[in-house]
Amino acid sequence: MVALKELFERHGELTDDDIRSAARRAGLPESTVYGISTFYDDLNAKRGKRHVRVCTGTACFAATGGAHADAVREGLGLDLGERSNDGKTSLGEVYCLGFCHSSPAIEDGDCVVAGPDAVAAVLERRQQPAPEPHCKSLLDEPVLLRAGDYSGLRAALQREPKDLLDAVVAADIRGRGGAGFPAGTKWRLTANAPGGPKYVAANGDEGDPGSYIDKVLMEQNPELVIEGLALAGYAVGAEWGLILTRSEYPESKRALKSAVIQARRAGLLGEDILGSGFTFDVRVLEGAGSYVVGEETALMRCLHGLRGTVVARPPFPAERGIYNKPTLVQNIETLTNVPFVAARGADAYRALGPSDASTGSKLVCFNERFARPGVYEVPFGMTVAELCHDVAGGPRDGHTLKAVQIGGPLGGILPASLFETRFDFGALAEHGCMLGHGSIVGFDETTDVRALARHLIEFGVAESCGMCFPCRIGMTRANEMVQQDRELDRLLLEPLLQTMELGSLCAHGGGLPKAIRSLMNHFPDELRVST
Amino acid sequence: MNTYTVAIDGVTIDVTEGTTILDAARQAGIDIPTLCFDERLAPYGACRVCMVGVMGLDHPVPACTSLVLRNDLVVDTKDPLAHNVASQVVELVLSELPGPPEPNTELARVAESLQVTESRWSGAKHEVAHDGRHPYLMLRHELCISCGRCVRACDEIQGAFALTQTGRGFHSNVTAGIDAGFRGSTCVSCGACAHTCPTGAISEHILVALNQSPGQISSSQGVMT
Repeated sequence: MVALKELFERHGELTDDDIRSAARRAGLPESTVYGISTFYDDLNAKRGKRHVRVCTGTACFAATGGAHADAVREGLGLDLGERSNDGKTSLGEVYCLGFCHSSPAIEDGDCVVAGPDAVAAVLERRQQPAPEPHCKSLLDEPVLLRAGDYSGLRAALQREPKDLLDAVVAADIRGRGGAGFPAGTKWRLTANAPGGPKYVAANGDEGDPGSYIDKVLMEQNPELVIEGLALAGYAVGAEWGLILTRSEYPESKRALKSAVIQARRAGLLGEDILGSGFTFDVRVLEGAGSYVVGEETALMRCLHGLRGTVVARPPFPAERGIYNKPTLVQNIETLTNVPFVAARGADAYRALGPSDASTGSKLVCFNERFARPGVYEVPFGMTVAELCHDVAGGPRDGHTLKAVQIGGPLGGILPASLFETRFDFGALAEHGCMLGHGSIVGFDETTDVRALARHLIEFGVAESCGMCFPCRIGMTRANEMVQQDRELDRLLLEPLLQTMELGSLCAHGGGLPKAIRSLMNHFPDELRVST
Repeated sequence: MNTYTVAIDGVTIDVTEGTTILDAARQAGIDIPTLCFDERLAPYGACRVCMVGVMGLDHPVPACTSLVLRNDLVVDTKDPLAHNVASQVVELVLSELPGPPEPNTELARVAESLQVTESRWSGAKHEVAHDGRHPYLMLRHELCISCGRCVRACDEIQGAFALTQTGRGFHSNVTAGIDAGFRGSTCVSCGACAHTCPTGAISEHILVALNQSPGQISSSQGVMT
């Protein structure tokens, strides 16, 4: 895949000769490499000298209802996915550039412009870089938004790997990437799995539209990510850590690579770290445009340079992951929880929030529809209303919030009438919602619910990997239903959603119906669904 | 390896730990319909037609990739929820094809066994595109349901690595080489792909003309079965 990306960059498209050359370099069959080249977004749309990508993520949808994409299309005289005949300009779309705090966002070459002026800036060729998001911790002492100083690693290396493993289990850290799986269980499984060498992988493929939490961590605090990864390596007995970043976040790769080099210089990565006998190093790799690659088995395939399709489990990565060896896969934010646990212990971590809530703290991010969008570190247990109004300042410019989607497109949508729900793994699940990534995308009275359903399912269609049948076909059928300008037939929609929910191989096909179901429940009239 | 007792539709059978529910059922003589499964190939878990109910779980599971890891597993292949999902998946498959399943194919048999005759859903179908450049192998892209059996047969049985899946999502399909036809790829004309294809998307010119499927022929170009 690295070879394909290089050749694509050079030629703006891939020729058969490019495929052959990449196959020779990678030692893979030509057919396999051809299959890879047809999978990833970045290797498909032909590129002109100037490549413009319009963000069509959920925050940008909430900001304009899609008008920004139409305006750029008209202004450039190109359709999405089209290259001008003279080869000078090409236009593409991308599901989330991670500038949700300043929507709409448009990438013009290497520069992301964002905000109400973005369309005009692109059409007038003003390359004004978008502002970085505001970040703030509500904790007395920040855990996830403090600069990484490797103090957790120094402390852990004084003790046995087993001590760290026990602390992570006792801290009851739940995965912050979507599913909320207990980190300690995964760590123990990987540590106990027979065979080696073992690997740890950091999942930086934060593709959930509306979420830019991992982006902020990777770009503004890469040291904490690397420290968390090194601790994971120490606990499970791995010598290599891999980080997969998104190509939509070019700065994440740069920041992490630079932090890896500095850590090596400081003796915090490499052989015999701080004289402890522990050897560990990190490689940063970049994807090529695919949402589903954020699923752990697809992530493994992407790290191997293959088509990023989901693989049926078992075996789990903890048994057979990278190079078929035991591999711990952990989301970026989850890893940044670990240095605190290593330095201060599980009890201190558990004490961060109320005793009846999930442990630790959580980063949440808000979209541009709020008065004070940004990334905030909050304790668990606050209500959604407190988060939306007290933390993010409520809706901007006198608008009213009608609903929020929490944790990405694969969870339910919470209507304003349920904003007293606690922001916690369990409480949100009771309303068909999930904590997921912790992104909070607000929709105000300007959002049309039927258009929102179309937006979500279009995303589902575009990003389905094509592996399992319920998602591969079901998304397309659901899309066809919502695109028609007529009432949705519940008798057709219900069994379709059921097939996807119960049949899909991964959370993409299994989770997206939850969002549609919550629109059916809370906004049946606006969605126009039959009774 | 431990031996565990499994009850499938009331029939009990002892299997070794790690046996799939599908294998256990077949050992017990109970049929579970499948589309992406071929016993010569590693389980794949894509079609979701082999869904079964397991006592104690509130959702059906795919039999082909679910393992027997404990004693006294109770499996119900007639579980209503599992049957709904399986038959609805087959309905979805029928909705993406240009016409009813080719007669005598596995797809036709599976649809019949799940009593699916037509689909409640309609919409886009795969574009008709025939690749007939090979003297006897023919690829009809519109019949491909992306079960991956041909690609896996080429990789796992023959080791020719001539085929690949292409695209993604609804537009997933298969092709040989760099979309070069069988002859323009590393294909050795063994016919394993045609033999395993459940829809007739890869078949033989002569069989297409005769309306037969390769599965009906006992000696299919030297494929080890």
